[in-house]
Amino acid sequence: MDKLTDKYIWKSLKEGDLNAFSVLFESYYPKLHSYGLKISKNKAVTEDSLQDFFLYVYEHRENLSDLDTIAPYLFTSYKRFLLKVMKKNEKLKQTDFSIENFVDIQFTAEELMTNQETQRFKDKNISKLLNKLPKRQKEAIYLKYYSGLKATEISEIMNINYQSVVNTLHKAIKSLKEEISIIKLFN
Amino acid sequence: MIKKKYNNINDFLEDASFKNWALQENGTDINFWEFWVAKNPEKKELVNKAKDLVLGISFDKQFISKDKVAFEWSKLEAKIQTKKTKPKRKLRFLKQFSVAASILLLVSIGFYFTNNNSKITHKTNYGEILNIKLQDGSDVTLNSNSSLSYYKNESRKIWLSGEAFFEVDKKTVTNAKFWVVTDDLSVEVYGTSFNVNTKKKKTDVFLEEGNIWLKLKNGTDKKMIPGNYISYSSDKNEILEDINVFNANLKTSWKNGSLLFENLSLEKAMEKIEESYGYSIIFEDEISKNTLITGAVPITNINICIKAIEKSVDVIINKKDNNLIISKK
Repeated sequence: MDKLTDKYIWKSLKEGDLNAFSVLFESYYPKLHSYGLKISKNKAVTEDSLQDFFLYVYEHRENLSDLDTIAPYLFTSYKRFLLKVMKKNEKLKQTDFSIENFVDIQFTAEELMTNQETQRFKDKNISKLLNKLPKRQKEAIYLKYYSGLKATEISEIMNINYQSVVNTLHKAIKSLKEEISIIKLFN
Repeated sequence: MIKKKYNNINDFLEDASFKNWALQENGTDINFWEFWVAKNPEKKELVNKAKDLVLGISFDKQFISKDKVAFEWSKLEAKIQTKKTKPKRKLRFLKQFSVAASILLLVSIGFYFTNNNSKITHKTNYGEILNIKLQDGSDVTLNSNSSLSYYKNESRKIWLSGEAFFEVDKKTVTNAKFWVVTDDLSVEVYGTSFNVNTKKKKTDVFLEEGNIWLKLKNGTDKKMIPGNYISYSSDKNEILEDINVFNANLKTSWKNGSLLFENLSLEKAMEKIEESYGYSIIFEDEISKNTLITGAVPITNINICIKAIEKSVDVIINKKDNNLIISKK
């Protein structure tokens, strides 16, 4: 049903319905904002690029293809959009700027919730352990457990097949579990 | 199970009922372990350690606030509006502007006449949701076709007709109460969030957080705890419903612009649509009435709403004058 709503929101947007666009904006802005911050690490760049991105989507609505689920399209195009902006800003400093190498998500200690009744997790710096993982694993973890996306959606965003998403997530969680020996990771 | 010894951490971890307790998943196990922990204080540290391992880690998702999103949307909307140069659009913009201007004029006349202790009223149309910040800092979301009023010098006493969700700021210094008054009852509050709905000649109250007292018209008091949902009619002098709702979203999702249905009959679901949009509902056959529907539909866009329902329960909905006519596909 969620998907159904997605489909009709998208259709109405293509017909120029500003109400539908506001529904879309309200449901995806927070997630894209967080994603943008993780990639750019710069609030002004994130917010300016989001304004331009949504304006771009609205103005080109008639040329958009039909979608059943909106999330992969928005995450993918926004990532590309943001990286283009960053590339422009960085043009003089950096020559090697491929998408695959650039997205390096960092987690902060405040973003992680653990049982606060004992010292155990305070000694082990979980965010540090997470940040040591390979970039692709971190992005998969972020999209799955932070943005709440499904593996099929993540595979579209990261441009890998479904099985690779599952494997990547599995690998990441396995190596974390070895470090901190817990049974349950990410609810 | 009771005779078993728990001496090291693995004894706990291998115990299924311990896991159930840590995850709060099974009533009997929860009761057993609460009792066990109380009786064995010397094992407390070990129990906590084992609990850590079971609970693990999760993300505290730090998304930006709704206010910020609304602000960013208004920025974007302004950009979209200025880019539109068609005269038709301009006219619509002017019309909105003139409505706003006349409301402003009315409000200022109101202020002029009654000045200090004037009554302030907020009203919504069908398909419209309004966010209001009261003087004391409390937030109110007013659902469609509803009205809310209060006196300027007494903003913690609210009269409500229709539906609203309240997030009341606690006044720790003065401990001042907050009141919501309807035709059937009044709600007495210190600081909490709850939903009140007076549509259909009764008042429904759903408590999300904190605790509140209901003072029913017939003189009785009733205390509510989080999750309680009470429906009372003073006409009938009767409590119609007194239940616990586990999924708070079912009662409060409207404030985020959507109605949530969970295995609800289409007839009941359409009653909700009727309340939100003001259309009369006509069923052309009896079978469709009892079809169950699960999912979310928007509250401020009737066209998307109709399409979503049509697609999910295999009916055709025709919008004609002020009616929604439902027939089988």
